[in-house]
Amino acid sequence: MSRLAAARARLRLLFSRRAANARADEEIDFHLAMEAERLMREEGLSPDEAGRRARVAFGGVTQHREALREGIGFGWLGGFALDMKVGFRMLRKYPGLTIIGSLAMGFAIWVGAVTFQVLSLIVFPSLPLPDGERIVQVGNWDLESQGVDGRALHEFLDWRGRLSTITDLGAYRDVTRNLITADGDARGVSVAEITASAFRIAPTPPLLGRTIIAADELPGAQPVAVLGHDIWRARFAGDAGVIGRSVRMGDEVATIVGVMPDGFAFPVAHESWMAFRPDRHEQVPRGGPAISIFGRLAPGATFESAQAELTTLGRRTAAAYPATHEHLQPRVVPYAKGFASISGSDLGFLTVIYAFVVMLLVLVCSNVALLLFARAATRESELAVRSALGASRGRIVMQLFAEALLLGAIAAVVGLATADYALRTWAVRFLEVNQGPMPFWYDIGLSPTTIAYALLLTLLGAAIAGVLPALRITRGLGARLKQGSAGSGLRFGGVWTAVIVAQVAVTVAFPTVLLVERRMIASAADDDVGFRAGEYLAARLDSDSLDVRYGAALEELRRRLEVEPGVRGVSFVNALPRMDHPGEYVELDDAAGAAGQGMGGVPATPSVVRTALIDPSYFDVLQSPVVAGRGFTAAETASGARVVVVDQAFVDSVLLGRSAVGRRVRFIDPRQTDPAHAAMQPWHEIVGVAREMGMRSITDTRRRRVPGVYLPADLADAPPMHVVIHASGDPLALAPRLHALAAAVDPLLRVSGVQRVDQVADAMLWIARMWLRLSLLLTGIAVLLSLAGIYAVLSFTVARRTREIGVRVALGASRRRLVFAIFRRPLTHVLLGVAVGAGLIVLGAIAAANGDGGMARVEGGFSVLNVALLLAYMVVMLAVCLLACIVPTQRALGVEPTEALRAE
Amino acid sequence: MRPQTDAFRGSLDLLVLKTLSLEPMHGWGISQRVQQLSNGVLDINQGSLYPALQRLEKSGLVSSDWGTTDNNRRARYYHLTAAGRRALKDERESWKRFVAGLDAVLGSA
Repeated sequence: MSRLAAARARLRLLFSRRAANARADEEIDFHLAMEAERLMREEGLSPDEAGRRARVAFGGVTQHREALREGIGFGWLGGFALDMKVGFRMLRKYPGLTIIGSLAMGFAIWVGAVTFQVLSLIVFPSLPLPDGERIVQVGNWDLESQGVDGRALHEFLDWRGRLSTITDLGAYRDVTRNLITADGDARGVSVAEITASAFRIAPTPPLLGRTIIAADELPGAQPVAVLGHDIWRARFAGDAGVIGRSVRMGDEVATIVGVMPDGFAFPVAHESWMAFRPDRHEQVPRGGPAISIFGRLAPGATFESAQAELTTLGRRTAAAYPATHEHLQPRVVPYAKGFASISGSDLGFLTVIYAFVVMLLVLVCSNVALLLFARAATRESELAVRSALGASRGRIVMQLFAEALLLGAIAAVVGLATADYALRTWAVRFLEVNQGPMPFWYDIGLSPTTIAYALLLTLLGAAIAGVLPALRITRGLGARLKQGSAGSGLRFGGVWTAVIVAQVAVTVAFPTVLLVERRMIASAADDDVGFRAGEYLAARLDSDSLDVRYGAALEELRRRLEVEPGVRGVSFVNALPRMDHPGEYVELDDAAGAAGQGMGGVPATPSVVRTALIDPSYFDVLQSPVVAGRGFTAAETASGARVVVVDQAFVDSVLLGRSAVGRRVRFIDPRQTDPAHAAMQPWHEIVGVAREMGMRSITDTRRRRVPGVYLPADLADAPPMHVVIHASGDPLALAPRLHALAAAVDPLLRVSGVQRVDQVADAMLWIARMWLRLSLLLTGIAVLLSLAGIYAVLSFTVARRTREIGVRVALGASRRRLVFAIFRRPLTHVLLGVAVGAGLIVLGAIAAANGDGGMARVEGGFSVLNVALLLAYMVVMLAVCLLACIVPTQRALGVEPTEALRAE
Repeated sequence: MRPQTDAFRGSLDLLVLKTLSLEPMHGWGISQRVQQLSNGVLDINQGSLYPALQRLEKSGLVSSDWGTTDNNRRARYYHLTAAGRRALKDERESWKRFVAGLDAVLGSA
């Protein structure tokens, strides 16, 4: 009880310092008034005299007031506030340290906050929907393929009637449909064919009209469409009269019944919604289209009870349909987790990222610690005096911690502000280039959790940068105080030596990484594709039916495009230059070709090549005729003749320069160990040699030249193709006509990714350049910090010897000898560091030159210019280190010996 | 309990506790009562009472509330907590022992 009361009293005092002060004042005033009244009453004194006597009896009023204030329990906080004030003064006094220190820590916090934010989006997604944490995804887990099997229409219909633990059970099918407006403009939109229950799970009221209702799902119901806000604005100019209008969705005409408000994208990142019609699909077990099933846990149900019920139902289904369902197990997962499944290895990877971020912070902060240590060392006498005046070690450590914390606070503000900016401006684009449109629950700005995490990082950083040097410097302070010469006892130990050497080494080696990165980007950006790519428009052509109808549609599209004004030629290819081309292994028919000529050194192992399926007109339209032999003929395409055209890189690296035409190749699977496998693969005759035209994709940094093989494409039996149009004017001006013509040819034909052929690599290059900029920033900060750290430490070690230098000069030491003595140690450190750094570069270069196993191979190693640049950079490093020694040495040599001695 | 390093401080605390064991009282009242009880012998510096009260309150022996005096002034009234009562008893014992010890020393001299 007493403890509780004591705690309460303390808390009350603690949290109401002002009130407690006021209370003390009031009590004292009350006391004085009462005493004065008593004196007037009992001794008949005048009010003035009574007041005076009352104050005398009370004793020193101010003194007691102070005593009360001290007793309130905020003494330590008052001290901390003082520490902060002193810390702030220190930061102002050393602006260089403040800028470098806060920049460095700010950067570490920036990296920490950005990674934490992005990772927490993936690992701990939260749905911005009512009851978001009770919304679930249900699916059939396939034990054989270790993935979700989407063909669950049969189960969905069964579960919908049965499940008691999950309500509002719904399903959707992800489709892309051509939305064709009245003016003939056709664009693919992502459609969720979805059950009406979706709008109970995500109960956002429509902006106009209505949402999908249960009646729309019935057999024979009129097709309806609900538009997303973006489409409504872009394709219908935000026209409120759009409700009730008919619109073509692929080969179906639907009535627009509603428009959803901005930001609505349930179930993931969808732009429009149509009713899910089970009656249109096969309903046999494990048949029908891939669907996703969602719902909400019923009141009182938990994930466990829902899983238990599903397991029971799953067993029953497996017993009824053993042929199809033996390996299927229904599973329920939190809704958003169903999209970002995190496996064990992913978690390991995330841990590595975390470890990296924390290491970066530790590295940066130990750097700042080095700076603070060097500065604290110059303040040793101040600290000694404080210690002599009775400051405890903890008190002094606290002061240095407060200074580091202040630095960290500035860093946190800078780091968090830039992190928020970076996330909002770049992260969305970065993720969308890599992953496609973001799910609606990805809120990319800084979350409160991230901010809390960053503040924790700040505390950790301040502890490293402030407390470590403080502990080091306060150790044995009392003993040094006794010796009467503060400053002479402090030395940089072996740890600091290692830090300095590592620092110099990293600073030397780091810019090489940049050099390599720059070279890679330059080689990726300037890759010549062998034709005037800027004159061509390209677009991807998708369809729901990749068959004869697709082939016919492409032929018809070509016919109509060719008569368009401004079009000089039209062709088709399955992968545009600079895109990723399918890779294959080929084997040469040496028995028939080269063996007779006795050619040695022909690669016996299969060669990796890139392939492209092309329309026979490809080389003509690209105005890049074959350099030997011939191209394909239309007859060869139709008959499926086994002919190929290889490119110059193939001739050079696979055939080693021998003539190609007439030789035969076959495609093999190197994983097949059975020799019969290769023998069964048909031979293809090389009929021509083409120039190198962008077979090497933008991400292919391993090789400068990639051998390519062209195959004739049968449009009626081909994967989705890209149309390539040679324009006489601005290629992009043809884009609207392309959309309109494609829609007119076949409403199922979807045009996407319309761009000039020379823009193919732009998105990837943008990312690569972002990385370069980021590494540039990182390197800049690392170099700046290192130089500052090296300078501070070296000048400190020299300055510490002022007294020694004075003595030596007084004893008549020659200046040359003195300079040598002073420079020996720091110079050794720096030279050692430069040597280690150079070693790192050489090691890296060797690794890069031999890099086969997944490592980026840098073609050609380092040029003379690069080596010269690196050498110049090392000279600059050395110069900075020398400068760091020279300034304090000169100062030390310049002073009169007597003064140097007295200075201590 | 608190170490008895300072006899005066200890005795002041004891006096305050004793005074408050009779009835809740404000600071000036306590100082008057202490003077009365000790017949003016212990004429303490009145101001030193307040740090003592603060100390006692922090250690949970007394607690305080705002109240009104007979002539309608606002004043802080202190009263003993249960822990305070126990402490008073303990301190009284140890005080008696201390005095007895002192007596024995003085008597034997």
